[in-house]
Amino acid sequence: MDIVPQLILNSIIAGAIYALVALGFNLIYGATKFFNLAHGVVAAIGGYIVFYLSKTLGLNLYLSVATGVLLAGFAGYLLDKLIYLPLRRKKASNMILLVASLGAFTAIQAIIAIVFTSQFQTLSRNFGSQKIFEVSCPVALRSICYGVGGVITQTQLIIFISGMVIMGALVIVLKKTMFGKMVRAISDDEEVARIVGINTNKIIGYVFFIGSAIAGLAGILVGFDTGIEPTMGMNLLLKGVIASVIGGVGNIYGGVLGAFLIGFVENFGIWKISGEWKDAIAFAVLIVFLIFRPRGIIKK
Amino acid sequence: MEYLIHLAILFSIYGILSLSLNLIVGYTGLPSVTHAAFYGIGAYAAAILLVSYGMNFFLALFAAIIISALVALLIGLILSKFDDDYYALASFGFNIIIFSIFLNWQGLTRGPLGIPGISKPVLFGLDFSSNLLFLILSLIFLAIIYFTARFIVNSSFGRVLKAIREDETALQVFGYNTLYYKLAIFVIGSAMAAVAGSLFASYITFIDPSSFWLMESIFILAIIILGGLSNLKGSLLGALFLILLPEILRFIGLPNELAAQMRQVIYGIILILLMLYRPQGLVGEYKL
Repeated sequence: MDIVPQLILNSIIAGAIYALVALGFNLIYGATKFFNLAHGVVAAIGGYIVFYLSKTLGLNLYLSVATGVLLAGFAGYLLDKLIYLPLRRKKASNMILLVASLGAFTAIQAIIAIVFTSQFQTLSRNFGSQKIFEVSCPVALRSICYGVGGVITQTQLIIFISGMVIMGALVIVLKKTMFGKMVRAISDDEEVARIVGINTNKIIGYVFFIGSAIAGLAGILVGFDTGIEPTMGMNLLLKGVIASVIGGVGNIYGGVLGAFLIGFVENFGIWKISGEWKDAIAFAVLIVFLIFRPRGIIKK
Repeated sequence: MEYLIHLAILFSIYGILSLSLNLIVGYTGLPSVTHAAFYGIGAYAAAILLVSYGMNFFLALFAAIIISALVALLIGLILSKFDDDYYALASFGFNIIIFSIFLNWQGLTRGPLGIPGISKPVLFGLDFSSNLLFLILSLIFLAIIYFTARFIVNSSFGRVLKAIREDETALQVFGYNTLYYKLAIFVIGSAMAAVAGSLFASYITFIDPSSFWLMESIFILAIIILGGLSNLKGSLLGALFLILLPEILRFIGLPNELAAQMRQVIYGIILILLMLYRPQGLVGEYKL
C-alpha cells in the first residue's frame, strides 16, 4: 500500500482536532482580542473529567463525555469571571491578560498532574480492539486509483465528523441567531456594542463557555484517539494558536483552514524527516506566515 | 552548608538570566518568551566545547557568548517585525524550534541522552571544582552582568531603550532607527543568558534538553515580573524568592514529585495575582 493516502488521512484527522481547538480559540480571541493561553489546559480538563467519570467511577460513556464537555465549558466561563473580567474592567493591556492566562495555564496543568499523576492514560476501554475502517478508492474511479487507500479508526472518524458538525453549527449560530449577531458586534467593536445596549460581559462569558466546551471536546477526542497526559494542553494550544494565526486570527473559517494546513504540513513533513520535528515544523510554518502574511490566509 | 552554597549558585545563575531578560522585556518592552533557548545554546555550546574539544572553560564561555549572540542576531531580526502579543507568540515558536534542535540534532547534542561529564572551570592552575570556589566564580559573573546591565540602562543607549518601550513611533519621528536598538539589546541579553548557560552546564556537569524547555522561559519571565519590570534589583529579588520557594516547600515535607508540581501551581497563582493586583511586580517601574 502506498504511504501517501494514509498520510492524507492522518493529516485530515490531525487537522480536524486542531480545527476544534482553533474554533474555540478564535471565538474567544474575536470577542476579547487577547491570546487566551489557558485554552489548552481547558482541553486537558475535558479529557481528565471523562477519564475520572468513565474509567474511575465507571459511569456511562456518553454521559461522561457530555459532562466533560459541559464542565470544560464551565471552567472557561469561570476563568473569565474570576480572572479576565476583573482585568478587562481595569482596562488591562493584552499582555497582562496573556501573562495571566499563562499563569492559569501553569497552575491548572500542575493541579491536574497532582490529582491524576503525570502518567499517560488512555480513555478508551477496549483499547486496541476498536473498529477500523478501510478507506479506499471508489468503485467508479478504479481505473485511475486502483489499490490506493488507507485506514482510520472509529475514533478518528468520530473526530472528523464532530469537527465538521461543530464548525457548521457554529457558523449557523453566528450567522442566524440574535446571540451570534451580538457576538459579531462585540468582535467588531466592544465599545459600540456596549453603547447599543448589548450586555458585553455576559455575552463574552457565554463565548468563553462555548469556546472552552469545544476545546474540552477536542481534549476528550484526543484522549480516545491516543491518550491524555497533563501536558497535552500545551501541544493542543500551540497547534490551535498556530492554526488560528496562519488562518487569520479571530476568523473561524480561517482557523479551520489553518488547522488543516498545519495538519498536512506536519504529517507530510515527517514523511522525509523524523517525527520528533513535528512541533518545529509547525512553528516554522507559523513564523513564515507571520513574516510574509501576518494577518493570515483570510484577512479580517 | 553545601546545600546553601548550592542554592546560592542557582541564585546567581538565575540572577544572570533574569537581569538579562529584564533588559529585553522590562527596559525595552519586547515580550520575549524565548530566553531559555539562549540559556540552552550557551549551555550546549560550552558543554560540547568542553567535552569534545577539551577546551578551557573560559574560552568555551567566550565562544558560547559569541554563538548565542549570532543566533540572537538572526532571531532578533525576524522578531523585530512583530510587536506585543505577536512578538510573544513568535518568540514562543523560536523557543520550541531551538528545543527541537537540542532534542533531535543527535550528532551534535546526543539528543535526549544529554551530555554528561562536563568539566569544571580551571584558570591558571586554579581548579574551581569545589562548590565554594564555583560559587565565588558565579557571583563574580553575576556582579559583572549586574554592573554591565546597570551601565547599559543608565547610559544614553538605555534611555533610548526605555523610550522605545514608551512610544516607539515618537522615537522614529525623532530619527532614531529603533530596529538597531531593539536588535542590539536582544543580542546583548541573549549573550548574557549564554553566560548563565555555560555556568549551569559546568556546575551540574550534565545537560539535557529538558532544562531548556518553554516552561523554563516562562519561569524566568515569572521571576522578572514578580521582582518588577525595569528594575535590576527587582530581578535579583524575584530570582531569590522563586529559588527559595521550592526549598520551603521541601522543608514543610512535601515529597519531591508533589513539590515540583506545587511549585508550578504557586508560580501560576503568583502570575495571576500579580496581574490582577500588582502588574508592576514588587519593585517594578513599568507595567506590561
